[in-house]
Parts: sequence; structure tokens; C-alpha cells
Amino acid sequence: MTGPAPVPAARLRQLQAVGVLSGFAAGAWLGAAEAPTKAVVLGIPPVAISFLMVLGVFLARWSLPALIRGTANVGVDVRRAPHLVVWALIAGCLWAVANTLTIFAIRDIGLSIAFPLWNANSLLGIVWGALLFSELRGAGRARWLGVAGGATLMFGGAVLLTLASPSQAPAGSAVRGVAAALGAGVLWGTMYIPYRKAYLTGMNPLSFITFFTVGELGMMTALAFTYLGGPVGAWRELADARAVLFWLLLGGFVWVVGDLFQQYAAKYVGIGRGIPLSNTNQVWGLLWGILVFGELAGANQTTYGLVVGGSLVMALGAAAIALSPAPGAEHRHWQEAAQREAARYGVDPSYVGARLSGDDPEARRGRTVWDWLIVAAATAVFAGVATSAQPPQLAFHHGWAAGLVLALLALLGAGGWALWRATRFG
Amino acid sequence: MPDRPDPPAPALPWWRAMLGDVQFWIPVTVLVAGLLLLGWVA
Repeated sequence: MTGPAPVPAARLRQLQAVGVLSGFAAGAWLGAAEAPTKAVVLGIPPVAISFLMVLGVFLARWSLPALIRGTANVGVDVRRAPHLVVWALIAGCLWAVANTLTIFAIRDIGLSIAFPLWNANSLLGIVWGALLFSELRGAGRARWLGVAGGATLMFGGAVLLTLASPSQAPAGSAVRGVAAALGAGVLWGTMYIPYRKAYLTGMNPLSFITFFTVGELGMMTALAFTYLGGPVGAWRELADARAVLFWLLLGGFVWVVGDLFQQYAAKYVGIGRGIPLSNTNQVWGLLWGILVFGELAGANQTTYGLVVGGSLVMALGAAAIALSPAPGAEHRHWQEAAQREAARYGVDPSYVGARLSGDDPEARRGRTVWDWLIVAAATAVFAGVATSAQPPQLAFHHGWAAGLVLALLALLGAGGWALWRATRFG
Repeated sequence: MPDRPDPPAPALPWWRAMLGDVQFWIPVTVLVAGLLLLGWVA
């Protein structure tokens, strides 16, 4: 029996470059998602903040795919690989439970201890990628070291940055807090299994997130009802948060742009490389905090040293991963893993092979009236909540904000253009 | 050019193939464990 035809070297290089660029763009946008939430003053329960952001995420996850590619393509994916809908729902549930665990971890042990613990999720992603999906197999010792060493360096850089981040004093059980943070890391790390499964089998990232967000919102709604006193309590929190609702929805929207890039990174460079690259979001989040919101004003030299040192170590780790793309031999193992999935679930091998190579011969161009209705409804909700939004009462450096927004737009333009040119958002 | 042959029909319906996939039970188990953990820490 002959295996799938190898992807030409030039095409493989192009896909790897697109994946790496998507990973960096993901980091920038995921980090920027923290900025709108700074406008939210204390007094709103963290679970309510998380629930409201997920509402914004839901709106964005349905409207952006409709705008970018049209929802007709989602139907094509579902008919080809219906099992992936279940995988996407499970991944969404994993995200919601992990996110809620981080809230309790911060409450019990503080951000500076909790963050590095759950941030280990990218290391778990490498383990799952290698164990289950043949990532790094055939990559050679130097690239294996580049990825594993780079991710470890990034983890170390993240620890330094977290130590420098402003954080509230913990006020709870250390054992429960550590367990919650580690648990969140395991849940997020395991969430990448459905990601990789979907993309090896050929599902489009825009289709995957459409179902992912149903699991995410469903689970988050259940958790919000549990911790906010049922539907009535959750509704009361929603009403009380009217003035900041826009900022939370905006945070969710920005987060989805970053997450979309992360999904493409996971598709084209795998979870072992894509997830650590998108974890550069911590540097971007800190840049917004320090430059735009003046969070470290008056801090001592040690703190600035931690920020500079942590950022450099993280950048070094990210560079090591970016410079260790999957060679042809490794990609052949990905193709074999994809063919195993195709055989197990009865998916057309030629469909799986084409999608893994970034081709999409069945793609339907153009939008339907439903797509425009979805986009219009999401826009109307954003416009509606914007009318009752109150401007944030905090220090804000417009010059730095403009600079960071320009950087975001540049990465959006470069990443979006590269994805369109190489894969037509496939 | 000859038509490409149809892909072989799967031996099992997709939901049974999924239930028999060891990889499926990893995230499911982790999700259940995560919910139990959440019940304990909250």
C-alpha cells in the first residue's frame, strides 16, 4: 500500500511560514484582549466577567466566520466529518471549565503563582502532539530541541513576567489554589487534542470554532447559573454590568481574532509549535498594562528587570520554535496520522489530504443572506451595548495605545493576507 | 481521465467509531475530572 503523496517542499515551507506568522499574530491579539477588560472596575464577580466575555466571544465566533468565508462551508465540513462537531463541543466545555478554575486559583494563591502553573498547558500540548499525532517524529534532534527547549524557555520567561505583574494578595487555601491552577493547565493542554484531531481530519478552523463556541457558551452558562444563583442571579449581574458590558464584549471579540490565528497556527505547524508561539500573548498583555495603563508606574528596578529579562527569554524561546519548522519527513508522519483518522471515521482520504495541504477544492465562495443576517445581528448587539457604555475612568496613554493598535492591525493584515494567499482561509 | 474510485465505506457509523477511539476518552475523562475538581475548589 502506498502512502499519501508528500507535500512539495516549497509548499510545505509556505504553510509552515503561514503557521508561524499566525502563532505570532495570535499572541498579539490574545494579549490585546486584556485591554478592554481594564475598563471594568471591581465589584463584578469574576465568574460574571468571564460569562459576559464568553457572550462576546460567541457573537464574534459566529459573525467572523460568516463574514470571512460564509457559513455554507460549515455545512460542507459537517457533512464530511460529523464526528468533529462532538469534538469541538467537548473542546469548548474544556475551555470553560479551565477558565473558571483559573478564577478560583487566583482567588486562593494569587496570579503570580497560579499563572505559571496553568501556563504549563503548552508543554502538555507538545506531549499530546508527539504521543497522539506524530508531531516532532522524524524532525531530527536539532528541531526537537528547538521546539521543546523553546517552549521550556518560554515557560521560564512567563514565570519571570508573572512575578513582575501586579497581582492581588491571595486569600484562600493554598492546596485548593494549586490544584485549581494545575487542573486548568491540564484541561487547556488536553483541549488541544480536539484541535489537532479536527485539523488533521481536514476541518476548517472557521467551522471548528463555530461549534467550539456552542460548548463554550453552554458550559459557561451552566457554571454561571451555578455560581451566580441561577438564571435570576445571572440576569441580575448582567443588568448590573450594563455600563461595562460593551468593554467585556469587545474584549471577547478581540480575543476571538487572536484565537482564530491560534487555530490556524495549530493547523499548519501543529499544537507542539503553534500553542507556545501564541503564548507570547503574555508579553503583549504586559505591554498594554505597562505602556498604556501605566501599571508599573513607581515600580522598582527589580520589577523592570524581571519584565525585560522575562520578555527577552520568552522572545528567545519563541524564536527557537519559529526556526524549527516541521521538515518533510515529519510532515509525512502527520499525513499518515491524518490517513489513520480518515480510515477510522470513513472520511474521504483525498479530502483529508487536500485540507492538510491547505487546499480546499470544495470551498464555496460568497456569502448568503443568512451570513449577512448573522453579521448584522452581531453588529446590532455591539452597537446597542455601546450606547450604554461608560468611558473608563483610568489613566490612558493615547500615544502608546495608538502604536499598539497599529502593531495589531499590521499583524492582522500580514497574517490575514498570508493565510488568504496560501490557503484562502482553508 | 478515469473517475476516482469512491472512498471505502466505513466499517462503523461515525458515532460508534468515536466511542471506540481511545483518543476520544482522554478529553472526556479530563473534562469530568475538571468538573469534579471545580466542585471541590469552588
